[in-house]
Amino acid sequence: MRRVLPQAAAPVVLVLVAALLGEAASAATQVYFIEALVSVVIVVGLYVFIGNTGVLSFGHISFVALGAWTAGVLAVPVAEKPATMPNVAGFLRHTTIGNVPSLALAALAGAVFALVVGLPLMRLSGLAAGIATFAVLEITNNILQYYEKIGPGQNTFSAVPETTGLWQAAVGALLAIAVAFAYQRSRFGRMLRATREDPAAAAAAGISIYRQRLGAFVLSGLVAGFAGGLEVHLLPLSYRDVYLDLTFVTLAMLVIGGASSLWGAVVGALAISALDSFLASAENGVSIFSGSIDLPSGTRVIVEGVLMALVLIARPSGLTGGREFSLRWLRR
Amino acid sequence: MTVTWQTIADAVSLGGIYALMAVGIGLVFGVLRLVNFAYGQLIMAGAFALALASQWNWPLWAGILLCFAVVLALSEAMDQLVFRPLRGQTPAVMLVATFAVAFLLQSIALLWFGALGKIATSVSSLNTPWVIGGVDIRKISVVAVLVTLACLFALQLLLVRTSVGLHMRAAAMDFTTSRLLGVRANRVIGSAVLVSGFFAAVVAILLTVQFPLVTPSFALQDTIVVLAGVVLGGLNRPVPATLGGFTIGFASGFLGGALPTNQSQYLDSFLFAAVILVLLVRPNGLFTRHGGSAERL
Amino acid sequence: MTLTLDALHVRYGAVDAVRGLSLEVKPGEIVGLIGPNGAGKSSTLHAIMGAAPVAGGRITLDGRPLRGRRSEDVARAGVALVPEGRRIFAELTVEENLRLGLAARRKAGGAEEAFERAFTLFPVIRDFRRRQAGGLSGGQQQQLAIARALVAEPDVLLLDEPSLGLAPRIVDVVFDALAAIRASGLAVLLVEQRAQRTVALADRSHVLSNGELRLTLGPEDAGDTEKLVGAYFA
Repeated sequence: MRRVLPQAAAPVVLVLVAALLGEAASAATQVYFIEALVSVVIVVGLYVFIGNTGVLSFGHISFVALGAWTAGVLAVPVAEKPATMPNVAGFLRHTTIGNVPSLALAALAGAVFALVVGLPLMRLSGLAAGIATFAVLEITNNILQYYEKIGPGQNTFSAVPETTGLWQAAVGALLAIAVAFAYQRSRFGRMLRATREDPAAAAAAGISIYRQRLGAFVLSGLVAGFAGGLEVHLLPLSYRDVYLDLTFVTLAMLVIGGASSLWGAVVGALAISALDSFLASAENGVSIFSGSIDLPSGTRVIVEGVLMALVLIARPSGLTGGREFSLRWLRR
Repeated sequence: MTVTWQTIADAVSLGGIYALMAVGIGLVFGVLRLVNFAYGQLIMAGAFALALASQWNWPLWAGILLCFAVVLALSEAMDQLVFRPLRGQTPAVMLVATFAVAFLLQSIALLWFGALGKIATSVSSLNTPWVIGGVDIRKISVVAVLVTLACLFALQLLLVRTSVGLHMRAAAMDFTTSRLLGVRANRVIGSAVLVSGFFAAVVAILLTVQFPLVTPSFALQDTIVVLAGVVLGGLNRPVPATLGGFTIGFASGFLGGALPTNQSQYLDSFLFAAVILVLLVRPNGLFTRHGGSAERL
Repeated sequence: MTLTLDALHVRYGAVDAVRGLSLEVKPGEIVGLIGPNGAGKSSTLHAIMGAAPVAGGRITLDGRPLRGRRSEDVARAGVALVPEGRRIFAELTVEENLRLGLAARRKAGGAEEAFERAFTLFPVIRDFRRRQAGGLSGGQQQQLAIARALVAEPDVLLLDEPSLGLAPRIVDVVFDALAAIRASGLAVLLVEQRAQRTVALADRSHVLSNGELRLTLGPEDAGDTEKLVGAYFA
């Protein structure tokens, strides 16, 4: 219990600190904090799978996309639908649902899609898994881009009620952390982590690695879908926003933070978001102390890319060393 | 479905270009077990070099030289700074690292050249058609095929007739034993990277003829498609990988040209669905002899 | 050239595979290394080739240190390994496999002569020169593996269980070839499971058990079954 409490509390505290800072921030900068908290949800979703199974997935943003599409299409008021999604199918055209139901359905959509995709794919690992999940990302992006019966296609979502405020995002992040933590402490999470490297040991213990991986995959799809719902209620979203760039950023966040621990996921998401926002305002011209920095746009990705490459080469376990938070770190 | 000679010529030439890219990716994978996601960025760099050369009104040969110089230098830098330190890591980690490098290079290009890009007008004369027996075929289509054949032939000579080539083939099959026999690891890797870079420069030149607008995402989609083709053909062996690249290029070019837009939109989905299928059923690729077990990958 | 191991210590992570092994192989002699499975015999050869983690001791070739050098550099210094399980390149031809062996050659030219000497020693592989190596039988592949090591004209030859899985008749061929190789002046370190034949052939045979050298036997001990068995279980 002495170990568990700090492990669970640390990410929670970090999220609350971020939320409080956001509360104190000006209206213009608050959106950065909300974005950061939504990123936490995405990266935690990514972590639930990658951290527990050790298998790479490039496809999680497709769950985010599906969640965003589900929540987005259903939450837009009926009157506004023809503007951005004129060809959307029958019942979708005539239905509008509220905020919480749309988020719940987004999470469900992510989970169901993860189940469908995971059934065949969970047999793969290593490079094959990376490529296969990348293919899923491509297929999803392709379909969402052109299939106008289920959404705005190439148009950007607009008129989605902007319900993702600071505290909703914070609650979302806390929910994601709770789910992830509960899972990794559960029987299933432990079974997966203990035997993922050793199919023989798993078989001897009566554990099906395939089924455990599938469970982790579906759970991560749930969290990612939920994040998609939050995202679409925050800013105007298009198919381009849930494709390679987001995949890169969220993967970078997880890798830099530390892919094997929940603490790593949260730290990575918030740290890179902080860096990101700082660089973004620097791109718009910001005053630091007495001088001012004015970075050209695009610097963000360069910094993130360099950091990610450096981490992978020099410290593959990330900033947190892939370990959960421990009070020992505070006592020096 | 409208099929003209131009469609077929385009498809064959795209197939050729994709085959060259497949070789570039496959050679490095063979010796390093590393899928270079950033291969497209090498091509982009070469294309920008050509664009700059035409902006500075350099003669064609100078532009081509600059293209080769830039691509080979960048390729070598990638090897020293990224590939070598990562040697011995799992292929998945290496894939993520090259993914990061790809984004990094793309952003540098964005910073340097802006999103609108530049125009490379080097060999635009090749974009004009020959008229053969009443049929229009763009010169570049023919040139691309000839260049591809020449490059592949030269590569084959290198692999089969020279010691370096033999060492590269052996290293791709069993690096440890090769080294025990005296094959120098660094030399083999360096050679593979060099040839891979050379092909990237050639592709840059060929692509800018048909697509003279060079943006930071130049060749990105092509690389993704070629990767799919290489996986489909067989990542582990040079010939199947090349065939995979050619097939995907030909199919993309053909269907893209022959089908009306509303039907060709979902081509990518079919392509990647096929990739998933192959990874599940025949992980070593469609064109290899033992499609079987997933161990190699 | 003389190969010398001095208190060699090989450690994989937390496991000591070889503890304080000292031996010497001089030109024109065969030194056998026998012992039960897991005794550390293969690890010794891999350590010499720079392919196993050495935690202590020295490895020298005529006094020049080999320890810490890359595999390809050890090979290029004149030490050739015939690996366990042959490790030939099945998709390359026999000729290409031999050409690969030339990578460690220290003399320029003379490759064709080296090939000829190999073919004379192992006539069967001459017939299969242009065939894919994967199509050869186990015994033929073993002969190819030894030939491949020899075309580099090494001074020291290391063999890791060459008789593994071979029919007795082929084992005869291999052991006869080893005698000829010894006669030509190479220093040969032979790791084997077949204790009796090895002890009979080698100038001396060291028994390795649990990473340590237990006993050294001479050819005169080849008929002494009790001594052999006792050595294994020492």
